[in-house]
Amino acid sequence: MRRLYVGGLSHTVTEKDLKDRFGKFGAVEDVELRTRKDPEGVPFKTFGYVNINISDADLKKCLTVLNKSKWKGGTLQIEIAKESFLHRLAQERQESVEQHLQQPAAEDKRQKLLDSLSKAGVDNFTMKSAVPGTEIPGHKDWVVSKFGRVLPILQLRSQKGSKSRNLKYDPSKYSHNIRKLDRNTIPDEATPVTQLTWEVQGGDDEISKKRRGEFPPCEPWRPKKSRTDNVSGRTRFEHPVNSVNRTEGHQLTNGFEKQNNHRLAQKKWTRFTDNDADSEEEIRRLVAAQQTSHVTPQQQEVEEDNLEVVGYDFLAKSACIGDQDKDDYDSADTDELFASRKPPPAKCQEKHTPPTAEHLSGNNTDKKRKTKKKRKAGEQEEEDGSTDDEEHLTSRKPSCVQQKRDSSEQKLNKKTRDLPVVRPSSSESDRDEEDEGDEVDSVDSCSDSDYEAMFSNITHLEISLADLQRLAEAAQQNSKTVAPSFLGAGLEQETLFPSFPAEQPAPKKGSTPEEILAMIMEDDSSEDEQKKKKRKRQAVTSAPLPAFQGTKALNEVSEDEEEDDGRGREVKKQKMNADSTQLVHKETDSKTITSVRDQNHAETKISDSSEQEEDDDEEEDDESDDGDDDEEDESDDGDDEDEEDESDDGDDEDESDEEEEEKGKIIKDMVPPDVLKKVTTKVCVNTEKAETESSSSSEEEEEEVKQGRVNSSQIVVNVKSAGKASPSSCSSSGKDKNEPQVISAKGGVKAALNRETSTSEEEEEEELALPRMALGVEEEEERQRQANMRRLAAVQQRQKEAEEHKKLIQGALANLDAPVAGAGKHIVFGSDDEEDDGNDDGDQQRMDSEVLASRKTLFQDGQSEDEATGDEATANKSVKVKAEMRLKSSGPQLFGGSDDEDEEDGSRFDIKPQFEGQAGQKLMALQSRFGTDERFRMDSRFLEEDEEVKEEDAETKKTLVEDDEDLEEEKKKTLSILQSVLGQQHCSSKTAGKAKKFKDVSALHYDPSKEEHAAFETKKEEVKKESKAARKKKREEAQKLPEVSKEIYYDVSGDLKTVFGQSKDETDQQEEKMNWDQKEEEEERKEKEEESAPLLSVPSVEKEDLCGFKFSFFGDDTETGSKETADYKVEAIQAPKVSWHQDPRFHDSSSEEEEDEQEEDEEQSNTTAKTTEVVMPSHTEFFFFYPDDDRLTDGPKSFWRVSELEEQREQWEERRSALRQEYRKKHKDARRKLTSSLKS
Amino acid sequence: MRPLTEEETKTMFEKLSKYIGENIKLLVDRPDGVYCFRLHHDRVYYMSEKILKLATNFSRDKLMSVGTCFGKFTKTKKFRLHITALDFLAPYAKFKVWVKPGTEQSFLYGNHVLKSGLGRITENTMQYQGVVVYSMADVPLGFGVAAKSTQECRRVDPMSIVVFHQADVGEFIRNEETLT
Repeated sequence: MRRLYVGGLSHTVTEKDLKDRFGKFGAVEDVELRTRKDPEGVPFKTFGYVNINISDADLKKCLTVLNKSKWKGGTLQIEIAKESFLHRLAQERQESVEQHLQQPAAEDKRQKLLDSLSKAGVDNFTMKSAVPGTEIPGHKDWVVSKFGRVLPILQLRSQKGSKSRNLKYDPSKYSHNIRKLDRNTIPDEATPVTQLTWEVQGGDDEISKKRRGEFPPCEPWRPKKSRTDNVSGRTRFEHPVNSVNRTEGHQLTNGFEKQNNHRLAQKKWTRFTDNDADSEEEIRRLVAAQQTSHVTPQQQEVEEDNLEVVGYDFLAKSACIGDQDKDDYDSADTDELFASRKPPPAKCQEKHTPPTAEHLSGNNTDKKRKTKKKRKAGEQEEEDGSTDDEEHLTSRKPSCVQQKRDSSEQKLNKKTRDLPVVRPSSSESDRDEEDEGDEVDSVDSCSDSDYEAMFSNITHLEISLADLQRLAEAAQQNSKTVAPSFLGAGLEQETLFPSFPAEQPAPKKGSTPEEILAMIMEDDSSEDEQKKKKRKRQAVTSAPLPAFQGTKALNEVSEDEEEDDGRGREVKKQKMNADSTQLVHKETDSKTITSVRDQNHAETKISDSSEQEEDDDEEEDDESDDGDDDEEDESDDGDDEDEEDESDDGDDEDESDEEEEEKGKIIKDMVPPDVLKKVTTKVCVNTEKAETESSSSSEEEEEEVKQGRVNSSQIVVNVKSAGKASPSSCSSSGKDKNEPQVISAKGGVKAALNRETSTSEEEEEEELALPRMALGVEEEEERQRQANMRRLAAVQQRQKEAEEHKKLIQGALANLDAPVAGAGKHIVFGSDDEEDDGNDDGDQQRMDSEVLASRKTLFQDGQSEDEATGDEATANKSVKVKAEMRLKSSGPQLFGGSDDEDEEDGSRFDIKPQFEGQAGQKLMALQSRFGTDERFRMDSRFLEEDEEVKEEDAETKKTLVEDDEDLEEEKKKTLSILQSVLGQQHCSSKTAGKAKKFKDVSALHYDPSKEEHAAFETKKEEVKKESKAARKKKREEAQKLPEVSKEIYYDVSGDLKTVFGQSKDETDQQEEKMNWDQKEEEEERKEKEEESAPLLSVPSVEKEDLCGFKFSFFGDDTETGSKETADYKVEAIQAPKVSWHQDPRFHDSSSEEEEDEQEEDEEQSNTTAKTTEVVMPSHTEFFFFYPDDDRLTDGPKSFWRVSELEEQREQWEERRSALRQEYRKKHKDARRKLTSSLKS
Repeated sequence: MRPLTEEETKTMFEKLSKYIGENIKLLVDRPDGVYCFRLHHDRVYYMSEKILKLATNFSRDKLMSVGTCFGKFTKTKKFRLHITALDFLAPYAKFKVWVKPGTEQSFLYGNHVLKSGLGRITENTMQYQGVVVYSMADVPLGFGVAAKSTQECRRVDPMSIVVFHQADVGEFIRNEETLT
């Protein structure tokens, strides 16, 4: 049975049809029709399967007959198909059934084997206790293998190509491959699905946890929390602390950071940085926090400190400071802590108060000052360790205070709020008697102690180079004596501040016990320091107080003056404090100078005597001031408040104080604030009045002048001090005043002693003072002397230092300045020295005054100088006068010299005539080689060499030029090579280069104004001229011109082809063609070739001369062509000219020939035309001949005769006869026609 | 140090002209001064007249290099272009090939440029035409030779070589000792 596939059926075919159709060849068992339809249901393919019982022969027949036969509109395609799967399935089933029938036989076979094996001792294919490899007896192919297993030996048929056909596989030899499978180990039991999950064995790290699906518990949102914290009290407090710490970053340490808190701290840090500007809200919050939690801050601060993070610029040194500061800060901040820390209860109060004072002061002080103080505090604290506890505490306080100040307004506010709390507790509890003044004093003392601590270690101050320089400058200007100036300054400031204490009572109401004061007095050093501090703070704080209060205070003062006697020393202290305050001010003004002075102060502080001396001096000053005030204050409205204060003090001392006078002074005091702007000049005036004072003032002035930037601040300070001073005059509470009186009296006496030789005014004052001295004069005198001695030593030291400074600076300046200036300065200082020498015997003060006076002359205005001179005159001091005269003289010299210098400088920068020009420059260079040394000065004589040099230069230039030429040559060479390279490589590039010159023809217009275009005109004229010159001869030529133009036209066409880039090959082919044509023509006509050949050759020659393209264009038309040629570039125009010129000649020659030709036959013209046509292609070639140019071979051919002359003649005759016959024939025809026409 | 002989000049120009064609003229004939080629230790240096004169002060054996090295003459008297000439040739390059960013590195390591890495190519590039290889950011990376013409490049499979590597700026690092 076969199954046939029948394809290509039409859709109409039915199974029956198929059956019938195939029935012829065999019995059709089954027909299956299938129709493929596209999605729309349209049948596009129909085929069928036919199961047919057919023999091979019939099948063949069937295929041959029916295959590819057309049936019902379709072409049958019959192929033998596979059996239908149903049929195959049935077959398989049948087979399997058959196999089943056969199996029992196989089983029997197996059973036999087993039996035989068992006979051989094999049980269940295992043979126990058998060595592997032993054969089973009776069974050839069975072998015992590992574990006693009996295995068959396999015969494997090897693949083709291998040598042995069969491979024998003996399992016993591979027994090591056999492994025993224990049934028990095989996991038969199905594990429940739940246990099928497996666990990832991971570490404890987060990622693995998360992978396992364990997520850490939700952490609180940190930033939010911190924010809320801020609202709460604790964090609120932290804020300020942090901000503080941040501002003074260097004071904080990294060491305290805890790891766990670190991050939080950082966050806060960032926030704080943002909050540096401190919003009001925050401030309020902070203040509230401060009030509510007094105790907590410390602990929290500690914690906070641990969290701090510091930048890279953080310094280890400052960090050390920071530790201390932190503690200090804590102590300072909370009163309780503070109290607990203080060892002596008596001093507790002192220490309590200072912060308040500081707070007050803090409000008023400038930021500059704060910063400076802060720095100094830091420095102090470094060295605090050595000092005793008291000092430590005191020292810490200021630093803390400063920190607070630095922190910002919030803190200040806080403190101010704290103050009320603190004050009552401290002051009221401790003190029975509450005098305003006393309280103030105590406060002052406390503050002073702080201040003292601040400056206790200033000797160790590190002064930067810049500071040193500044200092040196100051010293220079002051002339040698820095120390006196310093002293003077101290005096002045003392005068400024003595009245401080009085000022404070107004705002503050507290009282310090007198006992404490006495204690303070006893402790000389510490007390002094404290006082100083007090003064400073008071000075700071007092600034805001209005002058008006001063009047009231004055009244009070007058009333209180006579009260307490025992406080005479306080005044001194106050003065001392004033010094200190002054120092402070100066510090603020200029760090360096202040530092120096601080050192001095420290020295002075060492002993009370020295201080007392200073006090005495101050008192003296006061006395003098008093005198001055009486006499001159009225005249000088612009007097400093300082002086007035002093005068007030003096009034107190005098006891002759009249309230009226005081009031007047107060009024003056009132005035000064207005005049404060002029403070400096006024100070000068004041100093003039009291020379000592003047010295100090002058010093200050100098400082001010030098440190221009500091001026403003200083003035401010002065103003403040003035403000304080004015109230201070009022403030003098009775006790204070009385004591001062006494002391001042003593001081006055001393001053009198000292100044006996000094001004008459002073003497008068002293006289006034004398009666009051009575009390402690003797003691004071002793002290004073000692102090004087020390001070002298110190002053001398100072002088030495100053001199050193001067020298240093001079040395430095000598290089810069002209020698004159230096000399002048030197003279000035020399005079000072002399004065000093002369005054060795005399008092210091005098000397100082002199020096100061000299300084005045140097630096003060003309007014001051005049006044000074007046003072001197009154003094009648010869020494002074001398000194001053010297100074004066030296002064002008100084400045005059400088003026001269200036002039010189002006001229110096002009270019001197000998240095002008190039030679001059060289000369200058020559000279500069030797510097300004006179010995090696170079004249213009030395320039002669330069000329030689010039010649040399010229030579070198020549060589250079030669080199350049060489290079040029080389360049040309390389370019030529380049051309060759490029030319060989790209011929097109060359042509392209030429093509560039080609320009649009239509763009060119005839311009008569252009000379180049004249060529076009001239041609015609020339032609005309020629024609005119020889009309008869050239008539013919003129007639023949058109012929000439024809030829040119052909040239043009050839050029165009070249322009359009025809390749060589083409041209060659054309040439060949042409040759071929020529040959044909030659065959046709010999003579014409002879004539045409020259025609061809001539244009080619012409082309050599011209650039080809243009020439061709000109040829186009004789007249119109001229315009077209203009389309070419200007360069191209010349070519046409030539062509123009040449054309006639060419025409001439050709025309002559042609004339000859014309004689011969009419047909010649036709032939020429043909020849020219033939010529055309030849022109497509390059204009220039190249080695294998066909033209070179063809050209000569045109001259030669191709065939022998006789042959040609024969040919010609043959042709001639033929032609004649034809001619006759035609003639006859024509005649016939004529006759016929005539007939008709 | 001596000027090139005619032969050498020709060889070099032929090589250069593969990359910049007749633009060599711009190198030889510069408006900003006289520039010239000099042979020194088999290497061709391109330098200004100024530097040339300065260089005359040094003895031949002491002179490492002058001006810009354009390439060297091999022992077989062929001219081999060095990457140092890139700065002078790149601006005048007639045929350029831009490589994709991924292929940049491959090229800079001395590999040929495959079709897959070819970002852009100048049209009408002939086979074996010298090209300057650029990154897509128009940074010249080196020299190459077109392995396929532009037309062929369009058809070839992505793994076929399109540009043969000649020199690349990576040589500044790789061949630092030989580049002078």
